[in-house]
Amino acid sequence: MGGTANSVAVPFGTNRTPVPAQAGIGLRFAHHRAVIESRPQIGWLEVHPENYLGGGANLRSLNAVRDSYPLSFHGVGLSLGTAQGLDRDHLRQLKELIDRIEPGLVSEHLSWSRVDGNHIPDLLPLPLTEEALACVCRNVDAVQSCFGRRILLENPSSYLRYRHSTIPEWEFLAAVAHASGCGILCDVNNIYVSACNHGWSAQDYLAALPAKAIGEIHLAGHATRLLDNGRVLRIDDHGSRVQPEVWALYEQAIAHCGVVPTLIEWDNDIPGLDVLLDEARQAETYLESARAHGYHAIAA
Amino acid sequence: MDTMPSLHEAQRAIGRAIVLGDVDGIAALVVGDAISAADRIAIYRNTATGTLLRALRLSYPAVESLVGEEFFEGAARIFIDGCWPRGALLDDYGAEFAGFLADFDAADSIPYLADVARLEWSVHRALHAPDAEPLDLHRLALVPDGQSGQVRFVPDPGLGLISVHWPADEIWHAVIDSDDDAMATIELVSMPRWLLVQRAPAGGIDLQRLSYPQWRLAQALGAGVPLAQALAGTADVDSTFVPEQWLAQLLSAGRFVDFAVDAPTPA
Repeated sequence: MGGTANSVAVPFGTNRTPVPAQAGIGLRFAHHRAVIESRPQIGWLEVHPENYLGGGANLRSLNAVRDSYPLSFHGVGLSLGTAQGLDRDHLRQLKELIDRIEPGLVSEHLSWSRVDGNHIPDLLPLPLTEEALACVCRNVDAVQSCFGRRILLENPSSYLRYRHSTIPEWEFLAAVAHASGCGILCDVNNIYVSACNHGWSAQDYLAALPAKAIGEIHLAGHATRLLDNGRVLRIDDHGSRVQPEVWALYEQAIAHCGVVPTLIEWDNDIPGLDVLLDEARQAETYLESARAHGYHAIAA
Repeated sequence: MDTMPSLHEAQRAIGRAIVLGDVDGIAALVVGDAISAADRIAIYRNTATGTLLRALRLSYPAVESLVGEEFFEGAARIFIDGCWPRGALLDDYGAEFAGFLADFDAADSIPYLADVARLEWSVHRALHAPDAEPLDLHRLALVPDGQSGQVRFVPDPGLGLISVHWPADEIWHAVIDSDDDAMATIELVSMPRWLLVQRAPAGGIDLQRLSYPQWRLAQALGAGVPLAQALAGTADVDSTFVPEQWLAQLLSAGRFVDFAVDAPTPA
């Protein structure tokens, strides 16, 4: 394995506002004004930093919410699994924005998007091999060194597997976290979607993730597509409320890793802010219940 | 595949399948079973092209309004097939769409469409440009007299200077404001027009139509041509044009953010 095991000193900053172990929502353009004007009661906000790398109104909005809420950066463009290495310009731009905004958390995906100069705007699954593991560890090391901080790595939802994969996805994630010192962003909806699509056990997947490494949880809705052959494919479209089975898995997740910051994501057919806040309130009731059971945060 | 593909080989094959639709050999790479490997690739292709379509819609709202949703989507999907992004920032995607529309036969009945698209791209660039402080004019006053001709200006990163043939500015305003009356009165005459686009300090867009000498001087200075050379370049175009006055207007309007002075040429 190519990762430099536990060799990266990853300092935590001192100035930034930590993201609390409460429910937060993904802030999208459609809700900028409503959030800035109404200042809803919500624990924290998460944004895609790629949407704020320019200036003007978007960056002004980000600066405005920064004063009122802890922020998390959830990147979608680093392509941590690309064999050809990181896009250094993109990394530098992200670093500048991180230094400027000082988000409490920074996360990215276990996926790839870039090959031979083309950028495919989606989070593509990796062949889960020793070579890919070394590649991801190398790239996560480089990102953490550049940012001067630990990042969280999110488990993907996927619709295909490679014939030559040799490592179960949960073991792959755990190995990256162990070798690079990064944390895990446990997307409970993604676990459910991928488990259904590939015939895995969502419970076994969850149980195999190192609890101490989980620093954040994502929740979102997904779509169910009935195929001609009668099979069902679940598509992670972030276009609806969280499904009951995913709430149930979430309850197991916080029993496993303790209460951690939990995000409601919604990216398609975005509803009014009140719907997102309502979903966040529901997540908060699970967190309260977990606290009552003594499932306190155990993240390292 | 007989031997295990390298990570790069696998990514190249998946990339070709998604970008080019070339799914030959994909079944050997991707587990098929109840859903074929090609159908699995199609899920990713649909997501990616849908994302790019949304990005184009955000950058070209007036174009979409002029041609309608269905036509826009059809044109955009053909464009996407031939032009995938080179980087992760979707704000940077779609610069070539105006050129594509200029050569797109199905849009021949709207001759001004490509010009409106060119203007929209300048507007998009201006809206998303990095923040920059206008040049402090006191700094310019410190340049020794003998060296002022060697000043090279740095334009605001959101400054756009484009030339069009159709009244793209009037059309853009009418479409964005949904002003059908204004649209009906626009004289669709093809003749050269010179436009300046910049993000207004208070937000929104500053869009101005310039005279040719104004545009040419702004263009030259924005491209970093030394001041004396840029001023001399406007001498022959219009005897009524006073370049020093226009320069003062450009400076006071914050079109430039910095400057450098070339070292004096050795005698």
